[in-house]
Amino acid sequence: MRSVRNLAWAGIGALTLAMASPTVHAQRGSFGGGYGPPLKAEKPPRAFATSDEHYEYLLAQAKGGTRHSLASVPRWDGLWTTAGNTHLEAFIDSPGGLAGKVREGVLTPAYEKAYKERWRQQMEEGQVRYDRLAHCEPPGMPRFLLEPYTHEFINLPTESYLINDFGPSIRRVLIGKKHSNLYGTHSWYGDTIGFWDGDKLVVNSKFLYPADFTRWSPMTSNQFESVEIWQLKKYAGNVERIEVQATFYDRFAFVKPVSVAYAFRRAVDLEKADYRVNHWECEQSTNAYLDEKGVSNFHLPGEKGFNDARGATMFPELPGQTRDPIYNTTLTPTSTQEERSR
Amino acid sequence: MITRFKLASVAVAAGLLIAASAEAHHSFAMFDRNTEIVKSGTVVRWAFNNPHSWLYLNVRNPDGTQTLWSFEGASPTGLIQRGITGDTFKPGANVTFMYCPLRDGRPGGAIRVGQARRRQLCQPGGRRLQRQQGEHHALGRPAQAGRYFTGE
Repeated sequence: MRSVRNLAWAGIGALTLAMASPTVHAQRGSFGGGYGPPLKAEKPPRAFATSDEHYEYLLAQAKGGTRHSLASVPRWDGLWTTAGNTHLEAFIDSPGGLAGKVREGVLTPAYEKAYKERWRQQMEEGQVRYDRLAHCEPPGMPRFLLEPYTHEFINLPTESYLINDFGPSIRRVLIGKKHSNLYGTHSWYGDTIGFWDGDKLVVNSKFLYPADFTRWSPMTSNQFESVEIWQLKKYAGNVERIEVQATFYDRFAFVKPVSVAYAFRRAVDLEKADYRVNHWECEQSTNAYLDEKGVSNFHLPGEKGFNDARGATMFPELPGQTRDPIYNTTLTPTSTQEERSR
Repeated sequence: MITRFKLASVAVAAGLLIAASAEAHHSFAMFDRNTEIVKSGTVVRWAFNNPHSWLYLNVRNPDGTQTLWSFEGASPTGLIQRGITGDTFKPGANVTFMYCPLRDGRPGGAIRVGQARRRQLCQPGGRRLQRQQGEHHALGRPAQAGRYFTGE
C-alpha cells in the first residue's frame, strides 16, 4: 500500500512537472515555438541567383569577416533545443500550420505535386505513411535545422561545430575557407564554409544529398544549398535564443529562393538533469519498417526482423556481451507471438 | 482510495511519456490514434534508448497466460526533461497507463498521452479527439476506462 501511495504522489508530481513544461506551440510550424518573441523570416537584402553569389555579397559587406581569437569568438556553450521556426509559413497557406493547404508557386511543379501527396496523407490519414529516417538515414540538411532533440554549438576561431544528437548530425563550419569536394559527390551535410561578421556566424552549405525538411514537408534535391546567419540574441525576461535566418536555393525544388527563420533555446531541463549526449542507436534499436501496404509498421519481439536494442552483441557466447548490463533483462515472446512470426 | 492511486499512476504515464509525434524519426501510421486504452502489466524491460524508448510488459490474459506487450514512448531527451530516466520503470514493477494500439491488433502500441494538455492524446495532427480538458481516462474504449476508474 505504501508503494502504491508513493507511486501516486510521484505521479502527481510528475504530472505537475509535465504541465509546467515550456513546450508551447504558439507559432505555426514550430518545434518548441512560443519561446521569446515571434520569429520572422528575413529575406536577403536583394535577390541572388545562387547561394555562392549571396554568400560572397555578405562576405564583401562584412569586409572579409571578423577574425576572432579564442578569447573573442562568441561562445554558445551548453545544451540547446529547438525554439520554433517559420518553416510551415514558407510552404503552407493561411490559416497555416496543420490546417492549411500547400501554397502553390513556391515549389516547382514536380516537387509541388510530391509535396501535395505528402500533405494529403498528413491531413487525410493523420500521418505521412513513411519517413526515410525510419531506416536510419541521417536527417541531413535542411532537416538539421528543424529537428528537435539536443544541440551543441561549439565555436572556435577557425571552425564551428553545429551538432544535433539526432542522427547524430554534425555540421563543420570551416571559417574563412573556400568550398572543397574531394569526394566528387554529395553527402548528408555537404561542405560548409563560413565567416564571422561581429557576433553573427554566416555559413554556406552545398554539395548535399537530396533530402527533406521533415516527412510532412517538401523534399529537396541534390542542388539544395543554403546561406544562414546564426546569432545569439537576448530579450526581456531573460530570454536567450540563437536565431538562424536561412535562405535556401534549389533550382530543382524551388521556383525562387525560400527564406525561413529557426531558433534554439538553452535546454535548461537537460542541463539540470546532468544529461549526457548519448550515441545515436538507430541501427540497433529501430524496428520501424515499410510494410507491404506501403505503411509504416513495427517488428515486435519474436518476429523476424526485430532488433533487440538491449540484447546481446553478435558474440553472445562471450561473457559481458549484453547491452543491458544493469538490469540484465531478456525479452521472451509468448507462444502466440512466435506463431505469428512464423 | 485505490482508484485515486491508480489514477495517479496513469498520470505518471500521461504526464511524462510525452512524445510530439512530429519529433519522431518514423511515421505513426501504424497506430490507431483514435483509440486509447488503459492497460496494466509487469515491467519486463524499460528500454530507454534512442531514438525512441520502449516499455515491454507482461500482461495477464483472461485465461491466465501472459503476453509480452511492446509500447513505444518518447525519446530519452524528451523524457529526461520531464523527470523520466532509464531507472524509472524497473523490471518487475507493476504499471498502469494509457496507450494507442497498433492498427493490426498485435500486442503493442504507443504511449503518447502527454498531449492531453492540448486536449488530445495520441492524435498529433489536425484531427482531434473529443475530450474534455482535465480528463485522464481513456477514449474510444469507455468500457475499459470505466473499469479502470472503478478500481476493478
